[in-house]
Parts: sequence; structure tokens; C-alpha cells
Amino acid sequence: MLDTLSFLFSHAFMLRALVVGGLISLCCALLGVSLVLKRFSMIGDGLSHVGFGALAIACAANITPLYFSIPIVILAAFALLAMNEKGKLKGDAAIALISTGALAVGVMVTSMTTGMNVDIYNYMFGSILAMSRSDVVLSVVLSVAVIALFCVFYDEIFAVTFDESFAKATGTKVGAYNMLLAALTAVTIVVGMRMMGALLISSLIIFPTVTSMRVCKSFRRVIGMSVGVSLVCFFVGLLVSVRFEAPTGASVVCVNIACLAFFSLFGAVLNLREKNRLFRYKKVLAAGLALVLLCGVTVPFFGGKDPLPAHKPQVVATGFAPYDFARQIAGDCADVTMLLKPGEESHTFEPTPQDIALIQQSDVFVYGGGESDTWVDSILESLRGGKTRIVRMMDCVELQHEQLLDGMQPEDEEAEAEETEYDEHVWTSVRNAMLICDAVCRALSEADPANADVYRNHKTDYQSQLSAVDSAFRQTAEQAQGKTFLVGDRFPFLYLQKEYGFSFAAAFPGCAAETEANPATIGYLIRKAQSEKIKTVFKVDLSPGNVAQTIADAINAKVDTLWSCHVISAADFQNGETYLSLMQRNLRALQNA
Amino acid sequence: MALIDCKQVSLGYENRIVAQDINFQVNRGDLLCIVGENGSGKSTLMKAILGLKDTESGHLHYGDGLTAKQVGYLPQQTTAQRDFPASVFEVVLSGCLSSKKHSIFYNKALRQRATDSLQKLDMLPYRNRCYRELSGGQQQRVLLARALCATTTLLVLDEPVSGLDPLATADFYKLIRRINRDYGITVIMVSHDLQDALSLATHILHMKQSGAFFGTKQDYLQSDIYRAFTGGGDHA
Repeated sequence: MLDTLSFLFSHAFMLRALVVGGLISLCCALLGVSLVLKRFSMIGDGLSHVGFGALAIACAANITPLYFSIPIVILAAFALLAMNEKGKLKGDAAIALISTGALAVGVMVTSMTTGMNVDIYNYMFGSILAMSRSDVVLSVVLSVAVIALFCVFYDEIFAVTFDESFAKATGTKVGAYNMLLAALTAVTIVVGMRMMGALLISSLIIFPTVTSMRVCKSFRRVIGMSVGVSLVCFFVGLLVSVRFEAPTGASVVCVNIACLAFFSLFGAVLNLREKNRLFRYKKVLAAGLALVLLCGVTVPFFGGKDPLPAHKPQVVATGFAPYDFARQIAGDCADVTMLLKPGEESHTFEPTPQDIALIQQSDVFVYGGGESDTWVDSILESLRGGKTRIVRMMDCVELQHEQLLDGMQPEDEEAEAEETEYDEHVWTSVRNAMLICDAVCRALSEADPANADVYRNHKTDYQSQLSAVDSAFRQTAEQAQGKTFLVGDRFPFLYLQKEYGFSFAAAFPGCAAETEANPATIGYLIRKAQSEKIKTVFKVDLSPGNVAQTIADAINAKVDTLWSCHVISAADFQNGETYLSLMQRNLRALQNA
Repeated sequence: MALIDCKQVSLGYENRIVAQDINFQVNRGDLLCIVGENGSGKSTLMKAILGLKDTESGHLHYGDGLTAKQVGYLPQQTTAQRDFPASVFEVVLSGCLSSKKHSIFYNKALRQRATDSLQKLDMLPYRNRCYRELSGGQQQRVLLARALCATTTLLVLDEPVSGLDPLATADFYKLIRRINRDYGITVIMVSHDLQDALSLATHILHMKQSGAFFGTKQDYLQSDIYRAFTGGGDHA
């Protein structure tokens, strides 16, 4: 428990999440009471979808997301209000139109620009890492504004919520307050959605109020309890998410569900007792008790992970290749951790808060620096000034642009003309692996000067083994001059190809997320295979290999596997495979083809 | 001078006239019942009186120092209100909103006014009860107390007894009579029940597409429109 708590308070990004999340929960609870009671709950949901669309467009157009989304979502809120009051389309239909419309536009825009990637996933389900320092400032300002306006106009908001027609008849500007509510809701949703997720943020607005309505008998108490429930649920949810490495938004919603279930039961019991004339202060007491209980129930879960043993230098590597390099060089003198678990999909990897803490506490951090590692950029800032030495593998070698090989299906037709990215699978050339080892060894020696000689010896030994495989590849490539190797899959072997001069044809670029080829590509590759009399079609390990199998069936060839060494299967990991053993398999596979 | 003066008013929606040639006055102490068939423009007229809707043509004025902020209004209940988690006092206090000036919270005088309103309607014991747990008749009293907070002059009631059982209805009419006679508050009530209206009202406005009838109760009982409306079977 203490570990988890101290974790919350000792990391800047967690603290930011805590502050912003707390404020957002508070605002949502305040606004939620009015929205739910006015039967406007779905407006919150609709607006979050609009927010998603706006974020997608902002990212595509390279505008600071908040500056773009907030005005758009406020406009949408006003539009919803107007449609609700005057339009021919009534409430629920109007909201459904706007929300699904915005969602569709957002998905279209993203898929046409960056592709359905980790960003989209983050917008939809939230990311605890989304809060940058400037976001915190903005969130604090906005939240304070929401809270202040709510306090100042409390009586007006009550009147407008309870009875619009009475308020209007007695001279209250109902329209203005509705707009105020809508605008505040819009702002709150935009600020909160990147952490909670567009699909989940509206639950923060609805759950606390509905929960409080089960037991509270006055508006003021509903508000008070909603705020309490919202904050407690957020905090417990955050703890749960840290402890179980679960997404924050979903965790908070689940705690809210538990809370609602509990208080519904509690409210039912209270109502029974009400008939027996038992009195109210007990109720408040019991409600408080229930909250404490709810927190208490979760406490045993917080056993917490052991802090890292401090006596050895700690190395954290993202993928399998850098993990193995560090492991070979470190030997027994340092502990090496791999972030990508065996079998995990590398291109949509999102670090958990623990992963980030691990990186922050490490002495050496080795990562690729390409498309799969964009999340690293968001935490590099917090590493600056710390003890962690950072090795970016793409800085160690001569880079190659990701490129379209003969017959390859581009990742995205729009992007084709624009700048191509550098390929990140630098380690697929053994020569590059040797260069990376130099950098890792240097970093380790700096971190642990006492063992510098040991590391250098390990490295020299390892590099001589690498060198042998390097020459073997070179030889194989020479013998295979004029021969084309066909990869019916994505192609992470650009550096292997360039370094040794193999001739490859492949279906997709290295980082392509889709592995369903279009018929034209498959047709082309089949004709190519026939004309080159190819007997082996390669697939990449951990890929389902549908395309390779289709081609192989068509030309009566066999399917063989090449290993990318980015992520490795759990079985391979168990069997103690190494970068070297996998590259030797690749070598044999190429020789046999 | 009359509190409300209505001359040659016509009402409508989106260029469609619902009722025209409406003429009437409401003076201090009157109890005016607005009756008429469904769709005759009763609620539209009421909205116009409250300033929630513009008239298509004609004059509709407040007089005798009356302003929009001094009108108490008892709207029909919405379904959302029936299970609204608010205390009785919170609801009644919200009637004081229009009298609140330059301050964030209700001051002591306004809170006292809310307490007095509850007292007048014998609802003080329910002050801290939850609104949604009251019976329909009690809820209506609470809303009436709120309307009293907003006014000392004119009260506008929109079908105040719809949904109440006969006992609660009789009870509620007693209250309205008391408010009108004892506290000297002018009342305008929209009702679809002619007999109830006749038992209460000093004046009747019978809405029709054109040429609405306005007069004292006595005049109305003699009028053609009353006879036609009740099927002419009243006098042999």
C-alpha cells in the first residue's frame, strides 16, 4: 500500500495525473448533478465524441490539441442545446447524430493521416501519460474557473435545473445558464478525455450523481456526496490502475460501478428502514462509513512490488534485441529488464506506470527510437537530469529510410509522397548490432566504473561471435547473388538487406500494422515467385503468415520463418534463445531457400 | 389601473394564429380562471402573460407597478421533477431567486420569506423532507409556496390540480381561495374543469379561436358561450 502511494506522489507524471484527474473529477461531479437531473446526461457522452473528432483533426493538422478542441466542443455543446430547444430533431436523436458523426470523422481523419495507431487507442481509452506540464497549468486554470462559476451561480443553477419554466417566468436568464453549463461541460470533457478516454469520460459525469441520488435527499447533499464519490473513486481507481497495471480510465469507471452498486443496495436498505421511522443522521454516518469501507476493501491489494535491489546497476531495454545485447555485456554484474513481454505486439505498446518508474530508476535505458517508441519521447523529459544513461539504438548506426520494395504495398497511399520514416529495426544487420554493443558497453561502464573492465571483456567476446555471424551473412549474400528472397509479410529486414546486399521482395514495410495484402500485391508476388522459381516464401515470426501461406500454396513452395528479434515468442524466450541464435536461424533459413 | 391589460391580442405559433381578439383586464384581488377547450390557446395565453412568449399582435401590458420579476408562477410538473433529490426548503427558496440582488447567497430575509411561505401553506413541518418523497398534493403545495416567495401581487397557476386525487384537489382549492382572500394576492388560473373554475373564480376568460369571452362569473353564467359550452341544458 505504502509503496503504491509513494509511487503516486514521487513521480512527476503520476502527480500530474493525480492533480488533473482530481480536478476533473471534481468538475465532472459538480456539472454532472445538473446534467443528470436535467436529463442531459447524454450530452456529456456526445460531447466527448466530438472531442475525439476534434483531437484527431488537431493532431492531423498539427495544432495544439486543447486550443483546437475546446472551441469546437463548446460550439457543439451550443448546437446540441439549440437543437434540443428549437430543432425538429429532439434530444437523443440529435446527440446520437452529432456523436457518431464526430467519431466517424475522427476515425477517417486519423486513418488517412497517421493510421489507426496507438494515438487513437489513447484518445479512446485514455492514457495516464497524456498530461504534459502545460496541460496541467491549463487544466488547473479551467477547473478553478468551473468551480468558481459553479459556486457563484449555485442558486441560479439549482433553479434552472429544478424547473426551467418557473425560472424563466420569474426572470432568470435560463438560456444563458444553460449555455454556461454546456460550455463548462465542454471544457471539462476536453481536458479530462485524454486521460480518461473519449469513450469513458462521460461516466465521470453520470456515475457520481446517480450514486448520490440513491441515498441523498437534498440537492446540496447530492452535490457534496457526488464530489466525494467522484474524488474517492478516482483516487481508488488510480491506485487500482497502478497496482494492476490497468488503464486508468477503465479502472476509475469500474470503481464507480462498484460504488453505485453498493449505494443502490444501501439506499434500498435505508428506504426500508425509513418506513420504520429510523432517523437520518445515521444515514450520513453510514454513508461515510461505506466510503471508508470501499477504500478499505481495496487496501489488501496493495502489496506493492518490491523496489529494485539497489546493489547492481539496472538496465532497462525496450525490445528483445537490445535486451539481449545488454544481457550479454552485463553478464552477472548488472540486472537487465525487458519491457516488451514475450509475444506482446511491439507497435502498439504502451508502457504502464510501473514501466516508467522502472525506466526512471534505471541506470541505463536502451531503446530503438523509431515508430514503435514514440511514447519514449513523452518520458524523456522526466529522465533529464536523472542518473539514467540513455542509449538510442538509431543514433548508433547509419540510418536507412523505410522504403517500398518491389511489389510492396504502401502503408498508406497519402503518405507515400511525403517524407518516409527511418526504419527502426536497425539490429537486423549484425554489423549494427556490434555498433550498438559499443554504445551499451560505454553506458554501462559509465554507470558502473568499477566493473568497466568486465563489461569490456564481455563485449569483446560477444563481438567476436557477432563478427563470425556477420561474415557468414556476407558470404551467404555473395553466394546468393541474383537470387530474390520473397517475404510474404511485413519487412523488418531492411538493414540486413542493405548491409549484405541481399535482394528481397516483400508485401509490407517494416512497421505496417495491417497484414492483409490486397489482391494486386499478392498477384504480383505470385507472378514474381513463379518467374524467379522461388521455392521458399518467408513469413516473420509471431505473424499469422496468411499472405506467405497464400503465395506458397499458389506456387507450391514451402513457408519458412525469419526472426525480426524485435519481440520474441514466450516459447523462444523460455528456451533461452538469443539474438545470436535467432540470427543464425535466419542465416540457415536464407541458405536453405 | 389594472395589473394586466390585454387589448385585441392574437396568439399563434409559426405564423399560425391560435386565438385572436382577446380582451381582458385583471385588477388587484381578482381571481381569474382561464377556461376553454384543448387547443383554444389557454397555455399560449398564459405564456404570453408570463412573458415567455410574444403576442402576434395587440397589446398586453403589466400595470399598477407590476414587473415580470414580481409574478409567481406554478407550472405543471415535469416527470423529471417528481424524483428530484432536493429538500422542500431548497425548492421553496429557489422562488426567492428573482429578489436576490448583488449577492451570491440568499440572505436572512429571503430565507425568512421562504419559511413564511411554508408556514402559510401549513408545510413547515416538511421543511427538511425530500421533495420526491412527498405525495402529489404535498408537492403541489411546495411549488405553491415557492411561487408565493416570488410574489406578493400576482400568482399564475397552470392546471394546478391535474393529477391530484379529489381530496387533494379540494384541499388545494381551499388554499387558493385563502391566498386570494386572506393575503390579497391576485390569481390567474388556467383550468380545463369548468365547474371548479366557477366555484373559485371572480372572473372568467373563456378562450375561443376568435372572440373570447371575458366577464365576471355572473356575466359568464348568463352568456351564450357558457350555454353553448355546457350543451344548453342548464335552463329549461
